[in-house]
Amino acid sequence: MTDYQDLHDELRSVARDLLAKDNVDWPQLVQAGWVGLEAPEHCGGAGASFAEVAVVLDQIGRAAASTAYLGGAVLSVGALNALQPSDSRDGLLSDVVAGEVRAAVALPTDGSTTPRFRFDGTAVTGRAEFVPDAGVAEELLLLASGPRDQSVIVRVPAGAVEVQRQPVLDETRGLATVSADSVAVDGSAVWTIDTDSAAALLDRARLAVACDSLGLAEAMLDATVSYAGVREQFGRAIGSFQAVKHACADMLVAVTVGRRLVADAVEAVAAGAPGATTAVLMAKAHACGSAVDVVGEAMQLHGGIGYTWESGIHVYLKRAALNRSLFGSPAAQRKQLAERYENWRN
Amino acid sequence: MTADLDDFRATVRLWCRAHVPADWRAAQTGASDEEFVAFQKAWFAELHRAGYAVPHWPAEWGGGMPVDRQIVLYSELAAHDAPRLVLAFVGIHHAASTLLVAGTDEQRRRHLPAILDGEIWVQGFSEPEAGSDLASLRTTARRVGDHFVVNGQKLWASGGLHADWCLLLARTDPDAPKRHGISYFLLDMTTPGIDVRPIRNAIGDSHFCEIFLNDVKIPADNLVGEENRGWQVAQATLGAERGMTMLELAERLGNAGFGWLVQACDRTGPDGYRPLDDAVVRDRLAQFEIEITGLRGLCRDVVAGSEAGTVGAADPSVVKLYYSELLQRMTDFGAEIGGLAAQTQLTKPASSGWESGSWMLDFIGSWEWTIPGGSSEIQRTIIAERGLGLPREPSAL
Repeated sequence: MTDYQDLHDELRSVARDLLAKDNVDWPQLVQAGWVGLEAPEHCGGAGASFAEVAVVLDQIGRAAASTAYLGGAVLSVGALNALQPSDSRDGLLSDVVAGEVRAAVALPTDGSTTPRFRFDGTAVTGRAEFVPDAGVAEELLLLASGPRDQSVIVRVPAGAVEVQRQPVLDETRGLATVSADSVAVDGSAVWTIDTDSAAALLDRARLAVACDSLGLAEAMLDATVSYAGVREQFGRAIGSFQAVKHACADMLVAVTVGRRLVADAVEAVAAGAPGATTAVLMAKAHACGSAVDVVGEAMQLHGGIGYTWESGIHVYLKRAALNRSLFGSPAAQRKQLAERYENWRN
Repeated sequence: MTADLDDFRATVRLWCRAHVPADWRAAQTGASDEEFVAFQKAWFAELHRAGYAVPHWPAEWGGGMPVDRQIVLYSELAAHDAPRLVLAFVGIHHAASTLLVAGTDEQRRRHLPAILDGEIWVQGFSEPEAGSDLASLRTTARRVGDHFVVNGQKLWASGGLHADWCLLLARTDPDAPKRHGISYFLLDMTTPGIDVRPIRNAIGDSHFCEIFLNDVKIPADNLVGEENRGWQVAQATLGAERGMTMLELAERLGNAGFGWLVQACDRTGPDGYRPLDDAVVRDRLAQFEIEITGLRGLCRDVVAGSEAGTVGAADPSVVKLYYSELLQRMTDFGAEIGGLAAQTQLTKPASSGWESGSWMLDFIGSWEWTIPGGSSEIQRTIIAERGLGLPREPSAL
């Protein structure tokens, strides 16, 4: 683990600098090597793991950056990585890593695990909502149930399906519906994916959002502590008042616990550990739930200025609230965790 | 390395199966004071024979277990629901760390082996007028020749009735700023002039004591550290052991504690209602499991950080605050799930953790974690000031 610490520190520092710029466009992310972090080296990638992707996601969350990294890199490269190597897969993966083709993955985004598309052997039909970064994708990867109920990934060009942007209050995310009505696909664009790997795609999606929420909460805690240290009322810095100080302490506790749970889940997902799903459910429920509380408290402690559009705290609050729902609410994660309590043994 | 650790885990498991008394909870429920003390001493001796009593001490004094093995040891003791070392606690943790950090060789030679032989210690810090504001303590120690004469009153001295020795803070310079006039002493509890009176607490136990000190003589050799530097000694040694002890408590909360809660929810009541069928109940359980998992991870971080010297100034406070409030919420929920039947459990086993399955008593007893050892309010202040660097409260030096 410590072997990677230096690498992660460097990646974090580079990411912070790059994301400090106003607009980070896709070619910059490609050039920085973030898109291909997890792709194998023969496809032009860095052969790294989700642990490195998590470092980038945390920084993107901290900046509340508007990028297509979630759909265009984390989910796309993750889905293609999960497939058996083949010329067609390797070709697309190489194009995505090189920034020549932009992709997105249509997974269920409401917390359910049932694919939104059906592939009957010749054509694909279905509709997925709130698909991250589908609006800017040229190729769509649809998670579908195959003719024998096996899971498949179906590749379709964006022009062959209906992609409609879904405006949401959070202006930093690009979400879209993807609809396919008997869209013919040929065999080379259909890959089978085993059930565990399909489930692992959802784990990755949930955890990616949890990493983002952790970053949002960390940034807002930092901002609040800075502000409380300089803003004076009644002749004292407001951070010297217990009511403010204790609220900040609670924010730190929430962030600290969330960071621990996210780190455990990242380690499990990166290693493909058997208990990864459980760890992800915990991380998603805690980090995405507490981020809304932490950002809400940040708005409160900033007082009137925190409620202004210009302060930008609303951007974090909206993104935290969207993250909380994306790929399933905390309640949905807990519901799934609780399925283990029948015949519970320590 | 990992295989070595797996072997060690297997060894501890075998030992636990052979040595954890199967019926200790029943035997310790409603046990008399004498039975409790005898049981605690016997269990301590049993652990000591196996090399498990003071694994955190330096090797030269009988410890020297690597931290990763200690984590395994405490996790397994918790998983096997072993009794806790309640009586020896202050001795093996606070007294030992104080002596190791600030004591003289002579003091270490006198006391560390004795602690292994069963010497019991109590902490004499708090006073009626010095709770959260500990530095305002009023007990005085006046130097007379080669000894000090102590007068005053100590409060919340847990285990005071059974203690052989006391870690005592007393004011040696009444004119100095309050944190610069305190000295740290080792007090023999058989010294004339000491009167120990138990205080009955909210759950009916009497392990907290008042200690009255009336012209009590302490040899100057029993001073720990320099005269008037006692506050600094206490600060340096108080949090030293928190990591591993919190890890053990967190493991217990996760093993037996959460397990009993799920079992309680799995029981169908006379009305045919099984709490586990209730979505709200399942949601609460899952929330607790998430929080406990986070707590266990944080405890491992603090332990590893203490070893590596990277533990943050506020990290022990984060763990103490989070544990105590989680314990309170969880036992509260246990009492709710336990319903009227939980009201009929009038005693809980001595020697157990803070979650015994006697939910009402556990719930009421949980304030013993949110108030002592720095109340939750004090912890939040420490977290904000030392962890986040927020401006300090106005306070005297």
